[in-house]
Amino acid sequence: MKPTEVPTFRPRLKVLNREQILAIHNAALEILEKTGVKMEHPGALGTLVSAGCKVSDQGWVRIPAKLVEDALSSAPRQIDLYDQKGNKTMPLVNGNYFYGTGSDATFTVDVETGERRRSTLKDAANFAKLVDGLENMDFAMSMSNPADAPIEDIYVHVFAEMVKNTNKPIVFIADSGRDIAKIYQIACQVVGGEEALQKKPFILNYSEAISPLRFPENVMDRLIFCAEKRIPICLPSGSNAGGGAPVTLAGAMALGIAENLVGLVVHQLVGKGSPFLFGPNVSTLDMKSTIVSYGCPEWSLTQAALADMRDELYGLPIWAYAGASDAKVMDAQAGAEAMFSIVTAMLSRANLIHDVGFLEYGSTSSLEMVTMANELIAMSRFFTDGITVNEETLALEAIERIATGAPGSIFLMDDHTFEHFMQAQFLPKLLDRFRYDSWEESGSSDLYKHCNIEAKRILSEHQVEPKSTEVLKGIEQILQPH
Amino acid sequence: MSDFKALSEAVNKGDTKTALVEAQKALDAGSSAEEILNKGLITAMNEVGDKFSKGLLFVPQMLRSAKTMQECTKLLQPFFQEGDVLSKGKVLIGTVKGDLHDIGKNLVSMMLEGAGFTITDMGVDVSPEKFVEKTREVKPDIIALSALLSTTMPAMAQTIEALQKAGLRDKAKVMIGGAPVTEKYAQQINADSYASDAGSAVNKAKALLGIS
Ligand code: B12
Repeated sequence: MKPTEVPTFRPRLKVLNREQILAIHNAALEILEKTGVKMEHPGALGTLVSAGCKVSDQGWVRIPAKLVEDALSSAPRQIDLYDQKGNKTMPLVNGNYFYGTGSDATFTVDVETGERRRSTLKDAANFAKLVDGLENMDFAMSMSNPADAPIEDIYVHVFAEMVKNTNKPIVFIADSGRDIAKIYQIACQVVGGEEALQKKPFILNYSEAISPLRFPENVMDRLIFCAEKRIPICLPSGSNAGGGAPVTLAGAMALGIAENLVGLVVHQLVGKGSPFLFGPNVSTLDMKSTIVSYGCPEWSLTQAALADMRDELYGLPIWAYAGASDAKVMDAQAGAEAMFSIVTAMLSRANLIHDVGFLEYGSTSSLEMVTMANELIAMSRFFTDGITVNEETLALEAIERIATGAPGSIFLMDDHTFEHFMQAQFLPKLLDRFRYDSWEESGSSDLYKHCNIEAKRILSEHQVEPKSTEVLKGIEQILQPH
Repeated sequence: MSDFKALSEAVNKGDTKTALVEAQKALDAGSSAEEILNKGLITAMNEVGDKFSKGLLFVPQMLRSAKTMQECTKLLQPFFQEGDVLSKGKVLIGTVKGDLHDIGKNLVSMMLEGAGFTITDMGVDVSPEKFVEKTREVKPDIIALSALLSTTMPAMAQTIEALQKAGLRDKAKVMIGGAPVTEKYAQQINADSYASDAGSAVNKAKALLGIS
């Protein structure tokens, strides 16, 4: 028989048709042309006006569709993020997906005591180290808004902690044009200068515009800084349905996309061809508690929709979230919500997926949650990779061998099984599949316990390749208050 | 003497049209504006608040009821007598310096307004100096500060200090809130009260002024 080489179908989720895509996009353009935006940055305002935008008497800047089209066509289709050793580990393009943690959790669930307490710098270090040690975590964010860092330089300090504790790419927050410059200096230290950083960026800035349609000065300072320095940036707004945006998802998406397009237009006018990661955060405002949800199906659905719009229209890599929860502790709800968002983000091929490991709608971080998500991502990846169909996997010879073999032959003992089981099966590390008695003997522990042990193991055993003393000295200098 | 049942029901349902008709009917039947407000509208809103805290209502339903009540209050406006107690108290509210989050603050404002307080909303990124200035101007009973960032929480303390320095601290109660804010922090910075959400903000505000 001739070897059969069959292309593998990798399951892919679609949630919008072309008509829906065009209607949402046109609504976004209409928002920009008719309502316009509030641009509070004089420089950015000047740039928009000289590019042909009209300003109403009340200061609303109306942006013509032509500018949006220009920006969409000049922004790069691919953003390559490198690790801190110069390896291209995150080519953000097409259907590539990468997972990482989130930013400023106010609290953390202490890995030793299980208590919810205020986050510290040490937590930022621990989360970065854990990310460094987990194979399915591709990038780090701070996971902490630490109580013990000087407030004016809080984002500089958490960035330094991350750099010291991981070599993976870093998505960072800054407050203004001032602290982002310091963070940039540290990043340059790490890779040996501005040119090296521009060539192989390991950082991406996460800034936010304000729904509805407001662009504060300090946010635009950061956007312009990144556009000029060619640091990749994303600028999602808080267009959560029912709070910052209409409660209906189509309208919330149109608004969030409109806001993103404004960021993109200014960004491309300032730094044509600079990398811009597309995508709003369209979650929901919960109608009972009024929290903005980090575990709702709406956010997963809108980002799947955005992935469809990327494929059909925008072509730019997109920003997304997954692996988080509104639960206060890592319980069944946390597992369910985390898995739901992880698998749908992957199936819809969101590109850069953050917030993995958040509990309590983004207020609290959990090392165990990140550790669990690492396994859930592996599980989802197994599913998403589809079924490889070829001579080896069809295994007709093995079937013949066992069927016609000695009585009592089972596939388990066949060479084919030995040779293939590692790839052919998903082999969980933390999910429990033991028989009842063994589970009981080993302490009847649940997934939270397994994740707790594993997180602690990684923190104590994993070695992060250290930065040179020279780099560390440079960082200390930058951290000195002036 | 009317029990304002139909009016109360309309406010509960957020049916503004019917509520206005019922309020007008009550006026025509000789009820005083103050009576309609206190026994009709506010009692109904208290019921709504209760149902909400029991999880029986969603926020938009509650806000619709609040809006209905406001419309009715407008209708009653010309009929109030001198000496009628119209406002539960004046609240000056804003998000503190450096902070641009306002959804929570807006919600708190709406709820307080629905409960009968008079609101002056200063918006976001409000400096201690501006709070002081506005406090002099509107003489609020309560100053309500919102912060959503740990980095802007100190601006709450600075605002309270500025009020102190200006000799205004004991002229108004200070209530604070926002996701990272805690009861403990409120005590630490000498605020009078803290609330974790808009519903409890109303109760705390009433408690601060000793009203129900
Ligand atoms: C929406 C949102 C935004 C929107 C805000 C839009 C707007 N118009 O407000 C945008 C996108 C602009 C934004 C920006 C930023 N955000 Co933000 N944001 C959120 C988010 C998702 C929801 C907040 C919200 O609106 N909740 C809904 C409302 C109804 O609830 P609430 O605000 O908690 O208010 C309730 C109570 O707190 C209370 N309350 C509030 N105020 C008051 C006042 C008084 C007097 C009282 C009594 C009660 C009270 O009652 C309210 C109603 O029940 C939270 C995460 C979360 N899930 O909470 C992050 C969050 C608050 N943001 C955060 C951060 C870090 C930022 C940025 C720095 C991010 C960046 N990359 O730049 C910027 C900062 C901008 C600035 N300088 O302010 C962090 C804060 C961490 C920290 N400890 O400091 C959070 C927790 C997310 C996270 N985990 O990283 N954000």
